[in-house]
Amino acid sequence: MDRNINDTYIRPVRRLLVGLVVLVLMGLFILWRIDSPRVEQFRAALVDRIVPSFEWALVPVTRVAGMVEGFQSYNRIYEQNQELRRELRQMQAWKEAALQLEQKNARLLSLNNVRLDPKLTHVTGVVLADSGSPFRQSVLLNVGERDGIKDGWATMDGIGLVGRISGVGRTTSRVILLTDSNSRIPVTIQPSGQRAMLSGDNTAAPPLEFVENPELIRPGDRVVTSGDGGLFPADLLVGQVVLGPDRRSRVALAADYGRLSYLRVLRSHATETVDDPGSLIAPIPPALPLGPVLPLADGLLLPVTNGAGDG
Amino acid sequence: MGQAMVDPLVLRRWFYRLLLPLIATVFLFFHLLPLRVGAAQWPAPDLLVVFAFAWVMRRPEYVPVVLVAVLVVIHDMLFLRPPGVWAALSVIGLEFLRARAGAARDLPFWVEWAQVTGVLVAMTLGNRLILALFMVERAGLGLSLLQLMMSIAAYPLVVFLSVNLLGVRRIGPGEIDRIRTRS
Repeated sequence: MDRNINDTYIRPVRRLLVGLVVLVLMGLFILWRIDSPRVEQFRAALVDRIVPSFEWALVPVTRVAGMVEGFQSYNRIYEQNQELRRELRQMQAWKEAALQLEQKNARLLSLNNVRLDPKLTHVTGVVLADSGSPFRQSVLLNVGERDGIKDGWATMDGIGLVGRISGVGRTTSRVILLTDSNSRIPVTIQPSGQRAMLSGDNTAAPPLEFVENPELIRPGDRVVTSGDGGLFPADLLVGQVVLGPDRRSRVALAADYGRLSYLRVLRSHATETVDDPGSLIAPIPPALPLGPVLPLADGLLLPVTNGAGDG
Repeated sequence: MGQAMVDPLVLRRWFYRLLLPLIATVFLFFHLLPLRVGAAQWPAPDLLVVFAFAWVMRRPEYVPVVLVAVLVVIHDMLFLRPPGVWAALSVIGLEFLRARAGAARDLPFWVEWAQVTGVLVAMTLGNRLILALFMVERAGLGLSLLQLMMSIAAYPLVVFLSVNLLGVRRIGPGEIDRIRTRS
């Protein structure tokens, strides 16, 4: 009896419901494929709604994990101490060198009267959550549209470039890290000055691609942003070149990816573009008055006026 | 009078229907913890789908289609996957297993595991196929396969947990009669 009702009424209705659900889901996917920005906006809004509601729990758990890590490090304290002493000795030598360089730099700067780019101001945000996975490397910041954050801005920790803003909610924004497989950043390799593309591949050290002259690159070379494309400011430190186990040139990132907590979002301003080719090479010739013109001996042009003709 | 009181069976059913979102939330929470930024090299198993499958093989009424669809879409959104595809495949897989849940009752566990493995493999392949058809950028094949392996390996564990800790068991012969007489 029960089973009969099930067969004749409930099963077709169920099947319809399931079909409808699948249809709606695929519709969502197709909508995303067609009108990606709108769905991504919705996604950012959803993240904005859900993630801050976890914050009360995220903070203590993160802190406890930090404490556990700290406790573990007590076990290795003797080795650490020895290591630190060794490093300290090395550092003192470096400090001396740095002081000398700083003085030299200050002298040169004052000679040149150089001012570093005054337009580069920043907003500091705290890493709210790591919503990344091995598939996607990204973190969430607690600053968003409310703080004037825009898509595409560069994000740094204290030392080096971390990634770029991609997805802005009202109070949160997502940073796609340089290691993400969607990340492509134009860089310059110093001192050879070669341009290349740093393209993330979900490993800790992203490879360099499209290098003009790979022989000129050595492990240890500095990698900075080149500013090509006008999205990022130039000369932000990215890291240094290392040779990967697969013999490709990779970049050891300067930013400390192990402990991203405070990140700076650099305000980028639209760069000026050159759109009139003529004015750069020579001034635009002034509009000539009407009437026939006479060539003069020294090549200048004079309009013919009444009574002024000297024949 | 009997109708006005809350039937313990109904109560039980709604308890489990609320438990699934809770599990999904806990999974999401641990996923969001900023503990291992950039260090994660091993993809986590898709525990939500694994839990849904383990439960649908035991108590189909604990995992309504719409609930699973909504939860997986939320995960799609937060994990930056193309929204909807994985959810749609999960729903299809869930219904496929639901249709076989009754027949699987008397079969040994490894047959059930093989069924679930087959469904998960088909879902992963289907996902890649759909993404390829729509020309969406896909993660590496190795990573997807690794996640698939993790999900398959997690299934017996999830079943063990569900049966012994959460009490999601198959309906025994005695219980069926009890339900029949009540309804």
